[in-house]
Amino acid sequence: MDKRLIEILEELQPEVDYYTCTELIDGHYLDSLTILSLIAEIEDEYDITVPTVEIIPQNFNSAKSIWEMIERLKEE
Amino acid sequence: MLTLNTFFRLFFLLGILPCVIVLYGIVPQKARRWVLLLSSYFVFWAFSGKLIVYLLFSTLSVHHFGLWLSGIQMEEQQLLSGLSKDEKKSVKKRSKNKQYAVIFLAVVIHIGLLLILKYSAFFATNINTLLGVMGSDYSLEVPKYILPIGISFYTLQAVSYIVDVYRKKIQADTNLLRLAMFMSFFPQILEGPICRYSDTADTLWQAPKLKYENFLLGLQRIVFGIFKKLVIADRLNLFIQNVFNDYRQYDGFIITVGVALYTLQLYAEFSGTMDLVIGSGQIFGITLPENFKRPFFSSSISEFWKRWHITLGAWFKDYIFYPLSMSGPLKKLTAKSRKKLGNHFGPLISGSIALFCVWLCNGLWHGPAWHYIFFGMYHFAFILLGNIFDPYFSRLAAFCRINRRALPYRCFQIVRTTVLVCIGELFFRSNGLKAGMIMFKKMITEFSLKSLADGTVFKLGIDAYDLIIVLISTGILFFVGLLQENGVSIRDGIMKKNIVARFAIYYAVIAFIVVFGAYGINYLPVDPMYANF
Repeated sequence: MDKRLIEILEELQPEVDYYTCTELIDGHYLDSLTILSLIAEIEDEYDITVPTVEIIPQNFNSAKSIWEMIERLKEE
Repeated sequence: MLTLNTFFRLFFLLGILPCVIVLYGIVPQKARRWVLLLSSYFVFWAFSGKLIVYLLFSTLSVHHFGLWLSGIQMEEQQLLSGLSKDEKKSVKKRSKNKQYAVIFLAVVIHIGLLLILKYSAFFATNINTLLGVMGSDYSLEVPKYILPIGISFYTLQAVSYIVDVYRKKIQADTNLLRLAMFMSFFPQILEGPICRYSDTADTLWQAPKLKYENFLLGLQRIVFGIFKKLVIADRLNLFIQNVFNDYRQYDGFIITVGVALYTLQLYAEFSGTMDLVIGSGQIFGITLPENFKRPFFSSSISEFWKRWHITLGAWFKDYIFYPLSMSGPLKKLTAKSRKKLGNHFGPLISGSIALFCVWLCNGLWHGPAWHYIFFGMYHFAFILLGNIFDPYFSRLAAFCRINRRALPYRCFQIVRTTVLVCIGELFFRSNGLKAGMIMFKKMITEFSLKSLADGTVFKLGIDAYDLIIVLISTGILFFVGLLQENGVSIRDGIMKKNIVARFAIYYAVIAFIVVFGAYGINYLPVDPMYANF
């Protein structure tokens, strides 16, 4: 997994272990506004556009799933 | 036509649901879906009469718009083959514009119909008031429409279907009957939950065979719902009606008790009805989405709305909040404000604009009245304040060496959230914004325990006996919630017990409801509270 992604997540919400947490949305660690910040950050960092349809809990519940979404969007 | 008050008794106590189950169980597999569809239309007709045409129109309309969108998307795919990159871009842009136009038309028709039926009288009345204040003699005629049952729920389902087709999350359904079943499944007509096509349409169409295990699990859930409704919600109704209708006569203590009990009643009624609805679906093998996840264990208002009326919150998030905050202008605003204000406050500005729209819609969705709009703005304000101050609270907690995840702090957060929610529900239930303000003022300025000491509080529809039953029942609800919060599945536990123990538990719960349920001439059953929304 990309270290920069973990750094971004830690800047936004420091109280979480992003290597193990798999319920960032379901466990209420990231709220809607934090998701907006996160999307703005990853769009800048990885030069991608995150469409609204991708904003679902499955894509944001763990750092791993966020990274998988980024990789998928980079390919498109 | 039937009244809302009869819904509960007729369907779950007197037998329409059992009749549908028997019919569903004895007909051949291919006819099962027809039993569900015709039962659903029968229920709509029984409550709405000829207003069922609105449901039929909505179903035909979303079917047509779905196919229209799908046609444009297929045409785009055909045109793309063999084109250069620039040509592909141009084809995609043209297709997108066409799809936007279709979506716009569909949303205008469906939301427009809801606006006309539900809100035109409210807007006309307020415009007339404004004209009167400005000294004008002109006034608009205030229209009077009868609202078809469930329109606020199936309109949101209709819009979600069309947008999901546009987003290619689902394929447009060519089968009108499958779409009709998704739009009309009868247990959810009054109070939701608001379903997504991808969640329920296929299972409804398959119309699974009845299974003993599903039947028992569904029945368990229904009995729990009846417990919440009959033992808690109905028992409190007379007291709550007295307090909210004659609030001027009572002191702050009685109003505070009324507000707290109303919050409990609303939860017991709405979540109890959801138990009935989800349990009914489960009997047919259909999994409906959950609408409650122990909301009174929330540590903030924001978390509360992720646990209370979940399907409505999710709808607003998916179809208003994110599309707005991810739209071109707000994205640009986010980018600009992030540079100037940093990562926290930057996205907060555009997010707050989207959040404001969500809460305005949330307030209005509950009803065309200023106290509902106030209710929406009240929650918007607390969510916004929570977001603004969260980093400062984090730093303060770190400075004071307070562990924000420790149990005492969480208990403090839960109590604080519950108090704020209760105050919000005061305005939600009050007979108008002015009445809500007066009640709130009385809670602060006229609070005294005199009415408790002289026993006035026990003469308003509940006596000490009622209160003890409500307290015990609420204790049971709390205990069940606490176990669920800690990952214990009570229903699985019951299912694993042997048949004697299992049925002993079932009969004990049923006996508890029969003995302690509030029914008969001394009680006033509560109407399905979300049915008029």
